Order: sequence, then C-alpha cells, then structure tokens
Amino acid sequence: MSLTTEALAAMVREDSVHKHVYTDPEIFALEMERIYGQAWIYVGHESQVKKTGDYHTTRIGDQDVIMVRAADGKVHVVYNRCPHKGAKVVPDGDGCTGKFFRCPYHAWTFKLDGSHLSLPLKNGLEGTCYDPANPDFSMKAVARVDSYRGFVFASQSAEGPDLLTFLGGVASSIDNLCERSPVGEVEVAGGTFRVMQKSNWKVFYENLHDTMHARVTHESSFVAAREEAKEIGEMPFELLIMDGNGEPYEFWEKLELRAYHNGHGYMEAIFDPAAATRDPVSREHFAVLTEAYGEEKARQILGMNRHNTIIYGSGSPHTVFQQFRVIRPVSVDRTMIEIQTFRLKGAPDAVFDRALTYANLINSPSSNVMPDDVEVYKRCQEGNQTRGGDWVSLHRYLGTDKETPDGMVSTNGTSELPMRNQFAAWKQYMLNPAKTPTQADKKEADRAAA
Amino acid sequence: MQLLDRSFDVSTTPVAGATLSLEAIRGVEQFLFREARLLDERKFAEWLALWTEDGRYWVPRFHDQANPFEQISLFWEDKMLREVRVRRVENARNWSQQPLTRSAHLVGNITIEGLDAAGHLIVRSTLQLTEWRIDQRQLAGAVFHKLAATEDGGWKIVLKRVNLVNCDDVFANLEVFI
Repeated sequence: MSLTTEALAAMVREDSVHKHVYTDPEIFALEMERIYGQAWIYVGHESQVKKTGDYHTTRIGDQDVIMVRAADGKVHVVYNRCPHKGAKVVPDGDGCTGKFFRCPYHAWTFKLDGSHLSLPLKNGLEGTCYDPANPDFSMKAVARVDSYRGFVFASQSAEGPDLLTFLGGVASSIDNLCERSPVGEVEVAGGTFRVMQKSNWKVFYENLHDTMHARVTHESSFVAAREEAKEIGEMPFELLIMDGNGEPYEFWEKLELRAYHNGHGYMEAIFDPAAATRDPVSREHFAVLTEAYGEEKARQILGMNRHNTIIYGSGSPHTVFQQFRVIRPVSVDRTMIEIQTFRLKGAPDAVFDRALTYANLINSPSSNVMPDDVEVYKRCQEGNQTRGGDWVSLHRYLGTDKETPDGMVSTNGTSELPMRNQFAAWKQYMLNPAKTPTQADKKEADRAAA
Repeated sequence: MQLLDRSFDVSTTPVAGATLSLEAIRGVEQFLFREARLLDERKFAEWLALWTEDGRYWVPRFHDQANPFEQISLFWEDKMLREVRVRRVENARNWSQQPLTRSAHLVGNITIEGLDAAGHLIVRSTLQLTEWRIDQRQLAGAVFHKLAATEDGGWKIVLKRVNLVNCDDVFANLEVFI
C-alpha cells in the first residue's frame, strides 16, 4: 500500500480508526520516524545513573540509546553505536563505564557526552580523513535531552516545543508523584520488570483509559479476589487491588477522563480528600507530608487520586502506587513494557513496601490481572488481520466531551475520549513529518488569534 | 500483611548439617517429584495442600537476591495469594488460560543441604521446565525447598525458592506456578 498523506489522514476518522494502523509494518516504520523521531520520549530517571559513568540503556522507538551521567553531573543520551564499525559500545542493561566509553571492538574511546576522545595507534591515520573534532568520529548524541524533576526525556528532533510545552497539563502527574515525597524527590528503586506483549503499542495506550473493559476482561481475577476475601472474611490490600476492576458500570461512569494535547491524559480514580487518613500507611504518610508542606497541602497531594496517567509515546506513570509502565514498541505486533517502581525520598518505608507489593501483584509477569489484558490485546492484533471488517470503533460519548483551556474532559467516565485524543495526536504527528503537533497547534492558534 | 513479615526466614544457607537415612532421602525425592507432578497435572488443590499455613513461594527477580522485601520478585506469595492464583486460573472466564498452560517439570540433581535455624530441611534441586501455551518456552533453574517434617513422617513446604537462570529476562506472562 502507498502511505500518502491522504491515505494516512483517511485512516483516522472522528469515531474510528482503520485497522491497518495496528497491523501494517510500513505504518509502524513511519511511526518510528514521525512519532518517535520527533516527540519527547521518556528515557529513564536520573536516579538510575547516580555516579559518573553510570549508564542505563533503553530504546527511543527503534533506536538503541544510552543514558549516561557525565563528570559534570549532566545526563547525556547518545545512540549506542561506535562511529568506527557501528558496534554497540555498551551491552544492553545498566552498568558503569567509568570515566569514558571504550568500544570493545578496536578500543576507540569517547567522553561521556559521546565526543571523540582517542583511538590506539595513530600511525596510518596521517593524510586520512581522521579528525577527532569531526562529529563523524564521535558517538552521536540524541538531538535534545531535558529533564523534568529527574525524569529524563529525549527528542530525536532538533526542533519542536520544549519539554514542558510538550508535556502540557500532564506534567501535573509528575508533580504529584514527586510531591508525595516530603522533599519532593523520587528515585527508581527495587528493580524493573520487563514484560512482552504480542500486540501493537497503541493498543496498550488505549486500554489504559478504557473503563469499559475492566469488569469484562478482568472477571477471572476480581472474582478470584472476591471468593478468597469471602473465604478468609476480610479484603486486605493484596485482594483489594484486584477487586477494583469488578466495580459496576455506574462506578466507571462517574470517573473523570482528562485529555491533553499530544495524546496525553489521565484517568481519575475518585477525588478523595479523605484518602489521607483512610488506612494506616496513608495516615503515616499524611503525617510526614503535613510536617513538610502543612496540612492543607498534604491533604491536597494525597487527595489527588489519579489512576493511570498517559504520556503518549513514553508510557504510563501511576502516581498513587509510584509506578511508571514505560511502553517500548518493538515491532508492529510486539511491545515491551518496562515497569519501574519509585521510592518517595523521605516518606515512610511502608509507602515503598506498598508500592513493591503493587508492582509484584499487578504489574509483574506473574500478575493475576495483566495476563487477561495481554490476551485480549493479542486477540485484537490477530482479529485485525482477518477480512472481517476494516474499522476499529472509538465512538462512545462522541461529541459530549468538554473543552478545557489545556485540552478536553469527559462528561462520562466511559467516554472513548482518550482514544480519540490519542489518535488526534497520532494523525498530527503522521501528517506532519517536519513538525510536531504542538507547533502545528500553535500555528493554528496564532492564525485564529490573527 | 504476611507478605511484609520480615521475620520470615528466607535464607537457604544451612546452619546445621542433616543426617538422613537412605530411605528418608528417597522420601524427600519422592515428595519433590510428586509436587512437580501435581503442577503438571494441574491438580492445584492437592498442590496447595502440600504447604504449611505460613509457607512462602518465591521466585526472585535478581540473581542472589537477599530477600523479597527491598526488591521486586517474579513471585512472592503466601497461602492467600497461592489460593487466589488457583482460583483465577480455574475461573471459567480466564481468557488467558484458553488454551491452558501445559507443563512438564523435570526435577533432578537433588541434594540434601542441611537444616535452617528452625530445623527445616533444606533441599536443593535443578529444574528443567517446558511450558506450552500457544508458544513453547523453557524455564530452568535451581530450586530450594525448605521442608517441615509432619507427624505422619511426611513433609510440608515452608519455602520454595526458584532461582531462574533468566530471572532478569524479558518475560511473557507467568500464569501458573513454576
């Protein structure tokens, strides 16, 4: 098929998308270029590279990159490629490279910002193009790197909005996650899970705010939790977090879904000002935050009871249980999820214990909840390969969502606003190879203002 | 929360030696073989009955992981969570168990390691596990059982720790017990 602008534009309708956006390898390749090649993508957290030379490898779209801490304290993001023969300079994973990078193939060395340091045996280089100052002899840095409260993002495009403009309203979720620490800082701790899904990356984003699936897809786990609770005569935290998916439709209808520019958004659990004092762990947490911020602010911080947040292209922070499910597209039908857990610096140990328990029970490969999600994602991937129809529906509560200064808000928690918002961003990225949505937005806004 | 009870002894390093008759050693081996067989035959109710009330099932996320309290684990389950897992995989609307996960556990290299501080028998074995659900996968590792002797001369599991060779790998879902 030919991916003209018109063809791409026709794939996203107001209330549906063409199934090829999930199944066509060509579209996937174009997404890597136009979405992951432009947007700010979460690379990792500064706490993952504490000391000089500490590195963490990951992927921005289809690109292997290294996040590394330099001697001046700065965090750099460079492509994992030696400019000599192209070898990956460090192995995948976390480690410390010392004061400089050294390629294992011919010992070319590079400073921690990727710039050329040296190579052995200078004989034979005279009269050749070798020039340490020539960028062709350095590891290439990703075009732009910025950090928001320790969360490091990189953009492969030299142009486009700055990180904060790109994040827009969704930065409030990162703020809330950090403010849950009495010193306003978090760190990745306890280890990272990596889980493979046999489905397109966009399916997972859509599901994060899909309130209509919970009691259907997750019947096996919420019923199991309820049966167990009945048998033992109580509903402890471990069962409670599985039980929630079984709430009736009326519960989900009352939730608020927020959609920001660039496909971001969050799904609110119930805004619950009493959350601060509901259980012993929260009470202890509340006391520490009250001391740091005062009672009113502490109540506001813990009362901001968001469920999944979406930073489109990066993944899903969960502020209340301090997780970040980082979504890495692998191929058109494979997606890898890196699940990070955060420690809130200065918060009681019990708060971290709870986050670890949540990670183990809900997000780990052995989760009793996730397999049914992963199964239905795969069924979507496979069903969309059939000739049984071309369109995927996003129609629920179309036309009822309300505009806000920084995006949209649902009038009903079962609205498919989040999916429509994600595909609006997708379309903008895919139709504007040289621009990012926010720039396009801005131009449009300027025109409207004129 | 039982899962956070740090007084639970997860160490698999013996503090004393154990002297068992050949017959007793055969009994331990048969117990391990039977445990593996119950999993392969998905006789989960019988498998759950092999455990002590406060028994823990642990699959560390890291090599040489010291405990399940400071770091995440691939599995860290008490009686309640083992029961929930069985209830889920046996629920009729277990979409991800259609078809079921099938497995073949091969348990070998069984050695009696010694006793822990509470006098539980520490047994080490090597596991080769083939699992199939649409795709086939191989899991392998060292398994440590801590066993409590029962009055009728049998054993109950106090701790089962599975050190997977690929504990730091990318995983598809791990739905049933290893």
